[in-house]
Amino acid sequence: MSSKNTRKLAEALKTVLIVVIVLVFLYPLFWMVTASFKQPTEFVSKPAYALNSGFYFQNYVDAWTRGHMSVYFVNSLINTLLSLVLIVIFSVTISFALTKMQWKLKGFMAAYFGFGIMVPVATTLIPLAQIFQKTGLYNTRTGLVLVYTASAISFSVYLITGYLRALPDEIIEAGIVDGCSIYRLMIDIVLPLMKNAIITVLVIQFFFKWNDLIYSMTFASKSSLKTMQTGLLYFENEFGSKNWGAIFASVSISVMPMLFMYLALNKAVIEGMTAGAVKG
Amino acid sequence: MNQVLRDKKAIAAFVVPGLILYTLLVILPIVWSGYYSFFDGTAGMKNWAFAGLKNYGKLFKDKNFLNSLSVNMRYVLMVTAGQVFFGLLMALIFKFWVKKFGALVRTIVFFPVVLPTVAVAQLFAKIYEIQPHYGLLNSLLAGVGLESWVQPWIGKSSTALGALAAMDIWVAIGFYSVIIYGALLDISNEIIEAAQIDGCNGLQLFLHILAPLLRPILVTCVIFSFTGTVKMFESALALTGGGPGTATRSLSMYMYDTAFTYMKTGYGSTIALVIFLICVVGSRIIRFFDWDYRK
Amino acid sequence: MTRKVLALVLALTLAIGMVAMAQAKTISFLSIWAEDYDNGKLLTDLSAKYKEDHPDFDFELELVSSDNLQQKVATLAVSNDLPDVFAYESGTPLKTMIENDYVLNVSEALRELGVEDCIDAGAYSFLTNLVGTEDLYDLPLGLNIEGFWYNKALFEQAGIEAAPTTWDEMLEDCEKLMAAGIQPFAVGGADQWPATRIINAYVMRKLGVDAMNKMAAGEMSYTDPGMIEAAQMLQDMCEKGYFGVGPTTVDQNTAAQMILAGEAAIIYNGSWYTQDLVAPTNPAGEDGIGFFNIPTVEGGPGTLTEYSMNCGTILCLSKDKYDEETADWLKYIVTNLGDYAMSEFGALKGYVINEYPETMSKYSILVAEEMGKVTGTSTWFEAAMSSELSNIAQVNVQSLMNGEMTAEEYAQSLQDVWDANN
Repeated sequence: MSSKNTRKLAEALKTVLIVVIVLVFLYPLFWMVTASFKQPTEFVSKPAYALNSGFYFQNYVDAWTRGHMSVYFVNSLINTLLSLVLIVIFSVTISFALTKMQWKLKGFMAAYFGFGIMVPVATTLIPLAQIFQKTGLYNTRTGLVLVYTASAISFSVYLITGYLRALPDEIIEAGIVDGCSIYRLMIDIVLPLMKNAIITVLVIQFFFKWNDLIYSMTFASKSSLKTMQTGLLYFENEFGSKNWGAIFASVSISVMPMLFMYLALNKAVIEGMTAGAVKG
Repeated sequence: MNQVLRDKKAIAAFVVPGLILYTLLVILPIVWSGYYSFFDGTAGMKNWAFAGLKNYGKLFKDKNFLNSLSVNMRYVLMVTAGQVFFGLLMALIFKFWVKKFGALVRTIVFFPVVLPTVAVAQLFAKIYEIQPHYGLLNSLLAGVGLESWVQPWIGKSSTALGALAAMDIWVAIGFYSVIIYGALLDISNEIIEAAQIDGCNGLQLFLHILAPLLRPILVTCVIFSFTGTVKMFESALALTGGGPGTATRSLSMYMYDTAFTYMKTGYGSTIALVIFLICVVGSRIIRFFDWDYRK
Repeated sequence: MTRKVLALVLALTLAIGMVAMAQAKTISFLSIWAEDYDNGKLLTDLSAKYKEDHPDFDFELELVSSDNLQQKVATLAVSNDLPDVFAYESGTPLKTMIENDYVLNVSEALRELGVEDCIDAGAYSFLTNLVGTEDLYDLPLGLNIEGFWYNKALFEQAGIEAAPTTWDEMLEDCEKLMAAGIQPFAVGGADQWPATRIINAYVMRKLGVDAMNKMAAGEMSYTDPGMIEAAQMLQDMCEKGYFGVGPTTVDQNTAAQMILAGEAAIIYNGSWYTQDLVAPTNPAGEDGIGFFNIPTVEGGPGTLTEYSMNCGTILCLSKDKYDEETADWLKYIVTNLGDYAMSEFGALKGYVINEYPETMSKYSILVAEEMGKVTGTSTWFEAAMSSELSNIAQVNVQSLMNGEMTAEEYAQSLQDVWDANN
């Protein structure tokens, strides 16, 4: 066999492998959509890989009305977005003070904020339940957003300080020589330079907050405050059974907007992730 | 100029709001947990009483705790190794093999990252299904003549944890591959081409050129993955509920049961502290491999 | 500038946090059923009717998962923040609430309102027995009998002429079904309780209806030979393949559907199953499913007129929040609940019914007939257990089914928890 043919074969194999990879990631999602149109009996009477025999829209009606997916989706979105705004504001300002500004407690504070990276959610849960009950934050959106924000500060500060350290001091000095106030400096010079770092923080924290289950199931039991994650777990009737068709309908409902949002933002996301902030 | 950077008011404005929030909702709870761990009973109810070191003594005799510890550690090892290894592999495939539709392939592989964990778990529950009908996995095995491999994947202790780990790896491959791919892009093509001209094969290229350059990002990935897997809760709760038996019950789940279902606030706090210690010690050990950081 | 933005964002967050403003009287209800489902619909509908005459009144339903209910209520109780009305579990969980003085004495309240006789006498004694009190501290939201439901066509196909009356006959029937290529049982082992119920069924026949209560009270050991025999029975049935492959991965809804679709022959379930049976989508049809009570076990005192009963989730009222407005609402609810539930759902809820609807489904009649035979009752497996014990019993039953734990070890694991807490 000539080396040309060998190379052709290798290329073909690579293509096959890549197609297989794409299938491994895509097929379950396709299957989920077909499952969302199945009648309850189809889950029992037909093999899992069978396509939906018809379009049973009742699942979507159930998900939307009985499952309250409309409410849960909006809640997840509001909670995530509000905490992302706070996370970015806090972590950028703190990181800037910790790296570029001059003050006595700087070293201690850097260590103090760094410490939080190692704090697991479970450890803080019991006292948080007590704190929230005593301050009336239990079952409020404020409580949830605050705890989302607080638990993200350490990690975000860690990412952004890494990026800021690599930023030459000269840029900031030049700004000061030009007569910028500290706040102008922050907004006009530092912020634009940190675009990629901020996108990275946004993506990573979006991933964490969007997927949160433990905080929301502990601190937000009101149906008007429930997030998608808890909502999906709650598709159970009194005796703990599951309504699969409606579950997959809800999942599909929750996935579609994410899909479009992700496809639209995908370039910025991947750019931010690959831009270097994560490299510490 | 130092005047500007020493502006105390500005420092306070930058640091204090975040500091208060962080102290109240992250640091204080740990101290509080430590305090609670010396108590017995349910906080706020009549049986709440000081118990000294009793909870700590109980820990090492508690079969359920030791079981959860072992489950949790095995999970961390499997999932961290899997996420970073497959993330790396996928990043290398992106860089060297994917010629056309690169952005599309990366988008598809990244997509599971944005799916809610519970949704993914519901999906995998159906994939692993055996009764009343084979799920996707068992159908596939039966279809290619591997009937003897057909089994209740999440219904047996021996396979449940592995099945759970596979799901969590699948979800996160996209996340790690994109981070590592970013680092790969920063390595100049000249270095790679020079090595190829020198006759390096793929493995040598990876071991001698890429691996040393990728080390910092790999350590970062391991830390991400470690801190994510130590707290093991969401995916296990949604896929297996900790079962069968206690085969997939993590420390966080056991702590949750103890504190919120059994209403033993004190003992729950003790377990919570152990989870914290594991995190601290584990992160320190992983950091040890990051030369630059240690400097 | 940054500070202003920050202040604005914080203020915004706080503003969004403060949602509903209080009205004249709003009764808050912590439910495990959505507004349009089962008891959630029942109470929402009745409250809406009540509101027609009381425009100032409002009813607010807050939904929690049944898994989370106990934890949620306990947390709210500790922080003195219980809702006016809430769903809860009878048995030990309710007992704790009574001891800590959190829940209203319902008997007393109903006496004051002069509507004490609205509660069905059987339900009254069943509920008070569960917590061991004279007075009633909760309201029933269901009264179910439990037992085995079977697919008649499959029994016929396997040549089984009559439903079994002894446990041994039931096992023989399982062999006949296996021989005919039919899976004998569907068990929702993923939900755990359907599996412990089978142990419970055997125990109440082998050791009598009060065995589980005696064990919880310490008068009997969880390692009693009868208990071990029951656990062994479950494991044996599992190992013989009567439950199919991997029964710990099947949820009870799927199991229930399997019986209807003819994928398995028998299921242990409560009379709430009639909801699925009367549905027009039931492939087994109007008369395709039969019921038999838990068969007797040789050498045991249990008889065929003793049933395992279940009140499901019950309704409690917060003692602190109880006031005149709540009392008035309560009066309306208890006097109308029975009739409304019967006419709308064809379901018995544990209230006196004044008017029966003209047509009842075959399955509703079946349940009513079985209810008429009851001479003695047992409760469900975990009713008398503490939340920790009940959790261990349910978690370990999966290990028992998978053969990773022996029957002795299972019984011992229950006794160990009991010993550690008493």
